[in-house]
Amino acid sequence: MTSTQKDDKTESKTGKTLPAEDGITSAIINLLKKSLAEKQVEAIMIPSKVPDTEAYTWLLLQDESLLALGNPLPPVMTVQGGKALSNVTKHGDLQEKVAAVMRPCEVQAAVELLKLKQIDLDHIYLISVDCPGAMPLRDYVNDPEKTAKAFEEAFSTWGENESVRPVCQICHQFSLPAPQQSASSDNSLPKTEANFPAADLHIGLIGGDGKNVFLIPATTKGQDLLDNLDLSAEDSMANWESKVEEIRERKLNKRKAADAEWQAKTEGVDNLTAVFDDCINCHNCQSACPVCYCQQCYFDSQLLRLSPESYLERAEKRGALRFPLDTLLFHVGRMSHMALSCVSCGACEDACPMSIPVGQVFTMMGNKTQEYFAYSPGTDRNEPLPLQIFEEDEFGEVETPREGAEAPKEEAEKNV
Amino acid sequence: MSKAVKIQQSTEDGLRSFFESLLQDKTVKGIFTLRKINDEGGVSYSLITDADDLKNAVPLYPQMPVNAGKVLSDFTLLEPIQEPVAAVLRPCELRAFIELVKRHHGNLDNILLISLTCGGVRSLKSLGGKNDLKDLSSYWESVSKSDLAPNNRETCQTCEQFIPQNADMVIATVGQKDMDKECTVFLTSPKGEEYAQAAPGSTVSEEMENEKTQALMDKRSEQKAKLLETFKHNQSGLKALIKTFAPCLGCHGCRQVCPICLCHLCDFDSKTLEYQPVNVRSELNQKGGLKVPPGNIFFHLGRMSHMAVSCVSCGMCSDVCPVNIPVATLFSTVGDTLEKVFEYVPGRSLEEPVPEGTFKEQEFVEIGEQ
Amino acid sequence: MTVKKKVKSMNETQTHRPSIIGFLCTWCSYTGADLAGTARMKIPAEFKVIRVMCSGRIDPLFVLKAFLKGADGVMMMGCHPGDCHYQKGNYNARRRYVTLNNILETLGLDKDRISLWWVSASEAPRFKQVTTDFADKIKELGPNPLREEIFL
Repeated sequence: MTSTQKDDKTESKTGKTLPAEDGITSAIINLLKKSLAEKQVEAIMIPSKVPDTEAYTWLLLQDESLLALGNPLPPVMTVQGGKALSNVTKHGDLQEKVAAVMRPCEVQAAVELLKLKQIDLDHIYLISVDCPGAMPLRDYVNDPEKTAKAFEEAFSTWGENESVRPVCQICHQFSLPAPQQSASSDNSLPKTEANFPAADLHIGLIGGDGKNVFLIPATTKGQDLLDNLDLSAEDSMANWESKVEEIRERKLNKRKAADAEWQAKTEGVDNLTAVFDDCINCHNCQSACPVCYCQQCYFDSQLLRLSPESYLERAEKRGALRFPLDTLLFHVGRMSHMALSCVSCGACEDACPMSIPVGQVFTMMGNKTQEYFAYSPGTDRNEPLPLQIFEEDEFGEVETPREGAEAPKEEAEKNV
Repeated sequence: MSKAVKIQQSTEDGLRSFFESLLQDKTVKGIFTLRKINDEGGVSYSLITDADDLKNAVPLYPQMPVNAGKVLSDFTLLEPIQEPVAAVLRPCELRAFIELVKRHHGNLDNILLISLTCGGVRSLKSLGGKNDLKDLSSYWESVSKSDLAPNNRETCQTCEQFIPQNADMVIATVGQKDMDKECTVFLTSPKGEEYAQAAPGSTVSEEMENEKTQALMDKRSEQKAKLLETFKHNQSGLKALIKTFAPCLGCHGCRQVCPICLCHLCDFDSKTLEYQPVNVRSELNQKGGLKVPPGNIFFHLGRMSHMAVSCVSCGMCSDVCPVNIPVATLFSTVGDTLEKVFEYVPGRSLEEPVPEGTFKEQEFVEIGEQ
Repeated sequence: MTVKKKVKSMNETQTHRPSIIGFLCTWCSYTGADLAGTARMKIPAEFKVIRVMCSGRIDPLFVLKAFLKGADGVMMMGCHPGDCHYQKGNYNARRRYVTLNNILETLGLDKDRISLWWVSASEAPRFKQVTTDFADKIKELGPNPLREEIFL
């Protein structure tokens, strides 16, 4: 079944349907068990519950019995998955085949980290799962049982749930990235696949009603893994795909509305300051962010330390000076450093002790800046980071024309 | 008996008048204290140089958005301040500043140190993301009655060091029944006496430590003993430790806000302690599984071994933790033991050398020789 | 058998041979250990030596890391107080040991698995004595449960 709305380049996806009689988690865990037992992979990385607690953490495991603790979609996102994977592969290839199961935004962060050379994905099978969102970490910490229950409901209210985190409510990347033209303009670049999405294999849940899960390969690597697992015959995933697009449409509209809302809320110094009034400069947001990888953040470095005289002078100019200094500089500065790669995972907002909506603000800024560069973080491994490349003729609209020369209007219009 | 200056205004107004005269006489260039930043109850430490802005000063506001000792250390890190400045800080913040000065991370020159008998601060968590001005009346009621104020940090409820020792001036709050009519500031150093001449009040003789402060001391000691019992029961042993730190994200926020943790690049953020693929593989093979990121308990125990002896129990660490781990309780308890063992009280004296990096030849002589 | 079960069964055998890590200072304790070695003195344990120039070089993190990785016992060794080749290093080591000892005790962890000994360059018999005594104590304590602990 092919939809007439799609162009020739993108065919309907195919994959395999896996029955899930004992529930989604069980089905996925068993699949992972199978791949471990058949030595398709040598280790699994999956969120797991710490025994005798309600806490979740990432577990890299070889021992199959540990999979009993695993949960591919826990109610909360604790450490961002891309960050966790980077933590163990930053210094090189693990040289053991690992299947890493994570939320789509975590896969995207992993891909951004690949471009930043902070992760090694050579032997990693990235497996993403349709994600209904995650619950606010604070809620889970205060009442794990109640929050976990509320999370269960998210699986039957895809795209409509209002108890998941605000950034999740407007997330349009909750499934495989939509088929798109790659933004890299150089079509002579050799590509192993026409569209090199982030994950190798994707587990679809939408439309399965909890009775089936859909395994959709996205790369050759993922296809090979799926083939080797020798499951049922291939199926058309058109039904799942159309349902996903439906939800995506709704979410994109919500996202647009949220962008406008947050742009208004942060417009002008007074508004922006008000949003960050409660900030205590703990930098938890920066520590939690998967894209913020600097060993020592610029804003923690000695570069911003000045003599007491200069502080006093500043205070005298204004009548009073807030300490610690440079709160806005930190946030806007951090934006200028990482907004182009922001995957809207919300780890920052979860980590903030003062409940500042930093994830929502950064999501808005991420959207705006990424749109300007026509860049989609974490969806195409071959798409270079916007600040790593340049064209000689672009963004003419921000330049002052040379004397006698006309402003390159046509070029400017192309690039906006 | 101690010398004090009494101003016939409410404590807050009296302080503002005093600060005003200090600024207008140009005795100081600025007042460093808590300041209102909006009408919703938001506060932050600020350096106020314009006397007109003093109406926004809220020196006694029971909140600690950041440890002021850490801020003053950053302020005077590169060199001492050349012009006189008055700073209002809580006893634990003052002790932290002294600890940092001893480690050559800050300078006391030209700073008039004003502290207070401290009723504690509200935990940032209890604010629930909203500052609530209404709460303050119940807070001040408890303080005047020498009671444990509601919603305080746990470290505040068990703090026996709420009477500062190294300040130039000490604002009386604990047990004070007439804070809406009177402002009493004890003058606890010659510098304090000198600066007090600018205060619009009369000098009196009073006891800074009295039966009211003792009443609070007793309650705090009782609470501390209770906490220690609970700690021994719930947080002692390997299993309990693993449970306590199970939710830890490794964000290192506790370290970031800690006034004593001063390293520009913490060991635990450095390349030395990052896992190489061979380390990951070997642990994976050894145990069958590896928690990622690894080394949370190592981080906490390691941090304890580096700084717990100077822990001033301010409680910033617990407040900043996104997953409500009682970091302050653990570090404070371990810190207490270490302080007893080394006979050291952080911030007690500038002359007292920091235990790490110093030693006595004749101490622990039985160790190593069995 | 999975890896985990293998490790567990190894630890449960009667002939538990403790794994002990020793941080030995070059000038005294390492030389003393060397002397014990040339005299063919035997120690009832898997004894792994990490040589440092001075016991003052022993960062508490070294000891903690070994302990948390599952070493059954960790020994810090240096020159007798007053004999340090660098004058003061061993005094600092002593304070660091006291710090670690008290941290572990307050938290209810096996503080007896960490020890500090002064052994001079000529004290080969003393080296054998202290390591044997320590190994015996570790045998009583049994294998370090941290060896199997994943969620650290």
